[in-house]
Amino acid sequence: MRVSDRGGAPELETEGLLVNPGTEKNLVAAANAAGSSSEIVVETRNLSKVYRDFWGRSKKVALKPLDLQIRRGEIFGLLGPNGSGKTTTLKLLLGLIFPSTGEAVVFGRDATEVSKNERIGYLPEESYLYKFLDAEETLDFYGRLFDMPPEERRRRATALIEMVGLTRDRKRQLKEYSKGMTRRIGVAQALINDPELILLDEPTSGLDPIGTREMKDLILDLKARGKTVIMSSHLLADVEDVCDRIAVLHQGELKELGRVEDLLRVTDTTQVRARGLPPAALEELREVCRKFGGTEIEVGNPTITLEDLFLEVVRDADARPGRRASQPRS
Amino acid sequence: MVLEKDIPKFVEWVGPAFFSYLLGLAVFAVVVGGVAWLVQTVLYGPMAAGDRVYHGAVGLVGDLGRVSWRRVTAMTRLAVKESLRKNVLVALGLFAVVLLFAGWFLDPSSVNPGRLYLGFILTSTNLLVCLVVLVLAAFSLPADIKAKAIQTVTTKPVRTIEIVLGRFLGFSAIGTASLLVMGLAGWAFVVRSVAHEHLLTQEDLEDVAAADGSLAGYRGRTSFRQGHRHWVELGPEGSGRTDVAQGHRHAVRARESADGKRVFEVGPPEGLLEARRPLRGRLTFRDRDGSPSAKGISVGAEWGYRQYIEGSTLAAAIWTFEGIDERDFPDGLPLEMIIRVFRTHKGDIEKGIGGSVRVRNPRTQVETAPFYFTAKEFTIDSIMIPRQVAVTSPEGGTRQVDLFDELVDRKSEAVGPADAGGGGKGRIEVVLQCLVPAQYFGVAQADFYLLAGNGSFALNYLKSCLGIWFSMLLVAAIGVTFSTFLSGPVAVLATLSVLLVGQVREFLSRWYESLVTGDATIVPGGGPIESLYRIITQVSITLELEETPAVLAMKAVDTLLVSPMRLLAAVFPSLGSLGTGEFVASGFDIPLDLIAEHSLETLGYVLPCIVLGAVFLKAREVAS
Repeated sequence: MRVSDRGGAPELETEGLLVNPGTEKNLVAAANAAGSSSEIVVETRNLSKVYRDFWGRSKKVALKPLDLQIRRGEIFGLLGPNGSGKTTTLKLLLGLIFPSTGEAVVFGRDATEVSKNERIGYLPEESYLYKFLDAEETLDFYGRLFDMPPEERRRRATALIEMVGLTRDRKRQLKEYSKGMTRRIGVAQALINDPELILLDEPTSGLDPIGTREMKDLILDLKARGKTVIMSSHLLADVEDVCDRIAVLHQGELKELGRVEDLLRVTDTTQVRARGLPPAALEELREVCRKFGGTEIEVGNPTITLEDLFLEVVRDADARPGRRASQPRS
Repeated sequence: MVLEKDIPKFVEWVGPAFFSYLLGLAVFAVVVGGVAWLVQTVLYGPMAAGDRVYHGAVGLVGDLGRVSWRRVTAMTRLAVKESLRKNVLVALGLFAVVLLFAGWFLDPSSVNPGRLYLGFILTSTNLLVCLVVLVLAAFSLPADIKAKAIQTVTTKPVRTIEIVLGRFLGFSAIGTASLLVMGLAGWAFVVRSVAHEHLLTQEDLEDVAAADGSLAGYRGRTSFRQGHRHWVELGPEGSGRTDVAQGHRHAVRARESADGKRVFEVGPPEGLLEARRPLRGRLTFRDRDGSPSAKGISVGAEWGYRQYIEGSTLAAAIWTFEGIDERDFPDGLPLEMIIRVFRTHKGDIEKGIGGSVRVRNPRTQVETAPFYFTAKEFTIDSIMIPRQVAVTSPEGGTRQVDLFDELVDRKSEAVGPADAGGGGKGRIEVVLQCLVPAQYFGVAQADFYLLAGNGSFALNYLKSCLGIWFSMLLVAAIGVTFSTFLSGPVAVLATLSVLLVGQVREFLSRWYESLVTGDATIVPGGGPIESLYRIITQVSITLELEETPAVLAMKAVDTLLVSPMRLLAAVFPSLGSLGTGEFVASGFDIPLDLIAEHSLETLGYVLPCIVLGAVFLKAREVAS
């Protein structure tokens, strides 16, 4: 049993719903309320990627056969250390590279089909944009690629530039932008078509804490609006904060897959949390808990941090290659 | 001007050309498909490879039908902005520097300064425009792929054909704008450079007395300008023309000044910036005995374009002109000719080599008395055959006749029915002979023509710029295509290689002709193996090799190589054949048929290049 006490202001959680008011919590609440449907938006079947040299010899196995299903409205995280195959998976889903075996299906179509891109937004790891364009020109350019009429392009570009806070810098060439600003215009281009599926490669990479917070808020907002988000990251806290489900990849192999809270839950331990009780009452509370049920008390399963889980998975994978670490934790 | 082949009429050319093109395209598509299948077979096995190639081909056809012009325009605008913001305008600055310093190196006192200036301007414009477009086209896409900006494009609903087409159009737009600026600047430079005036005063002239002692006119020389001066012969009223120097002449007019003196006004140069419309004929020869001959005499020149006729013998070059219409030549026949002279001895080097021209009716053989002239090398000689001419019939006797009544054949079968306009078009022969013993005239079919009129020089210059534009489009298309799968520098080299192979296309055709006809003079020295052997052993190309088994084997291999090499070379575009600068520089109007043929030829290369580029880009993993 564990009682959490954050600086004398213990937090009360009931069935995973954050009660404490705040932007992020509201977004999470809204996002969870939006939920995910059973419609499968992305599916990979036996998907693998082997990079070969000029002579066709295998150079690197980037992704071992991968089976995934991602449903509409989910925030799905691809988690793994550098070189684990996260970005390769995203690239395969986007059709930027071709699978060695298996297939990736997005919106029921093969990932190499161009028409699927009409419903997709993509934010690459670095914002690979044309540095000689300014923000308005950038969004106008990508809007044109979606065959948007001029009026709609202007409207969306203005709204997105305002949303990412670049209104004052909209006429500056991107080569004059800071990394954070480049990231923000990158987000704007990914959303220019109001996509149903958004793929974010390391979305918080290079952002300061405020930028990171805003990015996570944005992701939750997208979920609240019914969008499906697939993000890759090795920043564990980010993934933990926003993802519904995660897949942990290591050396190109899927090591863990499931809902975040399920994966982080320790099933043989009970946690009791209470708000507003003085320290003296804790011992009494324990006594009471032993004997009686009380109000405003949450009793549930405590969790370890995602970081703990991640490191454990990686250590386990190194110690026992080929074994999938999916056993319940005790 | 050298014109090795006749320019066919567009309507006659387009049918066979289109058929050959489709055939070549089909063969090319099969080859590309085969190579793609082989590569895929290595990676995925034969069945999967077939499936991939099939779906790739079907997908490509589908892509062609779903091209969005808004997306293409987006890519075009991107290419234009990229070029402008990467300071492509530096090329225009470079051109300005070229113009600034050209005056130092171009000699205004050359034999034909108009040709010199035009040739220089058109060549440098062509070079700069093509170079700029090549660099832009070859480096842009690889730079995008390297910077990964392409990933944010290909993850949008953009088809590779739209990317390639957009890029091509963008760089072509930049090239077109550069060409417009350079063309205009070049035009101004040429016109201003060749413009000049001479002064002529009463003191420069001396009276010319008639036989009866009266004033027949004036004779004298103009002032010295731009490295030359002209002799003038004026009538008693003081008007006339100068002689031809440096490819031009001036009109001279006299007027009374305010103080009652006679002032001579020398007009602007005439004949420097011309657009002659020639009517060309068919050339046949007579040998030194007067017998018909397929060719003239070879004087040892390796290039067999010009054939020679021996002086003071019965050897003659005869041009047969068809479609002679009285309405086109109401004042007579203006003959123009470019004659090369081959001297077997120095002779009187100042005097020049004399020759004669006679006009003959090919049916009746009635011919005019000879018109004599002295050959001026490197410039265009002209002779006006008047309407009323003295003729001698084969039976003998001389009489004055009308040129079109007696000398133009309107009746023989070769002429065909008279046209509906009345009068009918006819045939005529012009016979050229060299009159100096042991000296030779060198002629080619295109060197002798009737001047059917003069077009606008400005329009001709524009047409020449159109030729540069075609070249630029071709370079842009090839550059973009190579950039879809090669790095920038390699794409530049590959494009240059393709254009280089295209330049030897004509040579390979001649070699093929040489082999088929057995005429070793067309391309002396044999094929690649034989040539290599000759280089190593330092055997001249004019010497026959002894027919040893090794030489026979070598020639056999060359024979086997000729067809595939010729076919392969035929696929490559020839920038040289698209260029029409020589027409403008030489003062000839560029035929519209040629422009139309070049435009289709360019389109014929550009379209497959774009499709091929789209295929390469689609087959490529842009994020690997």
